[in-house]
Amino acid sequence: MTTSTPRHGPAPPPFADSPLFPLGRHSAPPSGDYRWVSPWGGPLRFTHWVAFLTITVLVITGFFINRPYFLTTGGPPQYLMGYIRLAHFIAAGLLVAAGLIRFYWLFAGNQFERLPALFPIRWRDWVNLWKQVKYYLMLEGDHGIYYIGHNPLQQLSYTFTYVIAIVMVISGFAMYGQASPGGLWYSLTQPMVLAVGGIQIVRLTHHLCTWWFIIFPIMHIYLVLRKDITEHGGGLSGIFSGGHYIKADIQYVDE
Amino acid sequence: MFFPTQFPWAKDQTLGEHLEASGVSRRDFLEFCGQMAVLIGLTEMAAPRVAAALEGVKRPVVIWIQLQECTGCVESVLRSADPSIGELILNIVSLDYSHTLMAASGTAAEDALHASMKANMGEYLLVVTGSVPLAEDGMYTVIGGRTAKEILIEAAAGAKAVIGVGACAHWGSVQAAKPNPTGAVGIAEIIKDKPVVHLAGCPPIAETVTATLVHYLTFGGLPELDGDGRPRFAYGARIHDQCSRRANFDAGQYVEVFDDEAARKGWCLYKVGCKGPETFSPCPIFMWNMKTSWPIGAGHPCIGCTERGFWDTMTPFYDRLPNVAGIGIERTADTIGAALAVGTIAGVAAHATATTVHQIRSRKKAAAAAEGGHDGQD
Repeated sequence: MTTSTPRHGPAPPPFADSPLFPLGRHSAPPSGDYRWVSPWGGPLRFTHWVAFLTITVLVITGFFINRPYFLTTGGPPQYLMGYIRLAHFIAAGLLVAAGLIRFYWLFAGNQFERLPALFPIRWRDWVNLWKQVKYYLMLEGDHGIYYIGHNPLQQLSYTFTYVIAIVMVISGFAMYGQASPGGLWYSLTQPMVLAVGGIQIVRLTHHLCTWWFIIFPIMHIYLVLRKDITEHGGGLSGIFSGGHYIKADIQYVDE
Repeated sequence: MFFPTQFPWAKDQTLGEHLEASGVSRRDFLEFCGQMAVLIGLTEMAAPRVAAALEGVKRPVVIWIQLQECTGCVESVLRSADPSIGELILNIVSLDYSHTLMAASGTAAEDALHASMKANMGEYLLVVTGSVPLAEDGMYTVIGGRTAKEILIEAAAGAKAVIGVGACAHWGSVQAAKPNPTGAVGIAEIIKDKPVVHLAGCPPIAETVTATLVHYLTFGGLPELDGDGRPRFAYGARIHDQCSRRANFDAGQYVEVFDDEAARKGWCLYKVGCKGPETFSPCPIFMWNMKTSWPIGAGHPCIGCTERGFWDTMTPFYDRLPNVAGIGIERTADTIGAALAVGTIAGVAAHATATTVHQIRSRKKAAAAAEGGHDGQD
């Protein structure tokens, strides 16, 4: 069972023994030596949390704008839809600002944050992508492929999320611009609107893509928790602290 | 030429002289000019300028051809708000050819068309209603033995400018909706070398036609257009941004189903599928049938008929978003999204369970291996 090697690594996550997480009770305890790495710079963490907050607001207000699900009834006149749209537009503006910081950080960040880290660019990464898929399907291996930064599957899914976010921003500003024809946003987006077949197609795209921001976090949070429980790196807190533990005696692919 | 009146507009008579001869008072004429000035984006102060320009206009030649269409646009235009003068401008004074309205028919009508085109080569204004069917070599619309495409190309060749009236001329309208069996296209697909202005709508409001003609006569050219060829004075703002029910939209007051309390109070029709937020049209301002009413004013959601492709993209008319074509069955965007989200949650739960089972097995194996002598056979 448990080896007698002294534990130098991190304590298991606090929820590891919780009855709510049977996975935590049954996974092997941490063993061996660990060392601390710090791949996530301040701007990356900051933009992550700005994105989290604004996307939460955007999804909730966005669904309301599409189909107002609660209503003002009776009483003096309200400005419910007006305020909800205002919140949506402010959150959208903040998300775009965060996106610009992230874009800058694609060129100024460290090796785990730069543009090449968004894509599996080497052959070995594609091989590891397949291995990671087989690991998740529980066909091969007891652990994921050892990457300090994002593994190839993460790279693809996060980059896909960036792409969807860009689609959301373009389609969102196209709809926003409709209120003032001839204005900046209208002029920038109208050729695209006509090319795709009209504003309703843009609206439908915007709405369908919204669901990615519901589906993606479910998988994202699950896989982060799962990795934390089974591999004990403390990656969950890495998005606050900027770092996590890696095993000292293992060569990491992207080290 | 047709609609014979007591006072036909003689060839070298100016419009001012003609109106005077027809018994239109100066006061009525200035009032009309003021209305038109406002419609084309000037202030009422510009009325004297418009009047001065219009008065001096010699009889313009307008040829109105009708291709694959339902004649609804002509019906709409006949209901111009100020029939006494608008009708003079549109229907009486200027049309040399319009097969719905003219008294002549058959060969006589075709002869009139050709005579007018020849006599006014390069000078006449061409108005087109209807789309151009291209499938089966254009056999879906044949007038006088010639296809719609041939007629349009011939008529456009000598035109100074082309005005497309209605959704058919704009992009094809209902006959161009999927699957578009006749291969219908808008006139701009055929006429590439001439300025084409589109008065979008199914049908457009009569005043947009009158006002475009007045603009043409006043300034000698076509009005400023938006990215889709529509005059900005009429199609420059969304119905949503000019709507009398906009306050209810902002307040969160919506009609849930037709005939509910909210509908009786005249609240916003957003939730019953109003396409006002995606439709550029002057309906709330110009209104219809001599300013009697307009669709939203009458309690019906806008169907977006001034937008390209509206039969495909604005449907279902009583819902916010288009349906997504699926395999044999159509699903709404939210059905698909919710199904995917539920599927994701189920997948995550299944995966977490499988992981737990997998971990238990791995530990048992490790324990068995650690005990040595005992053969691992689980």
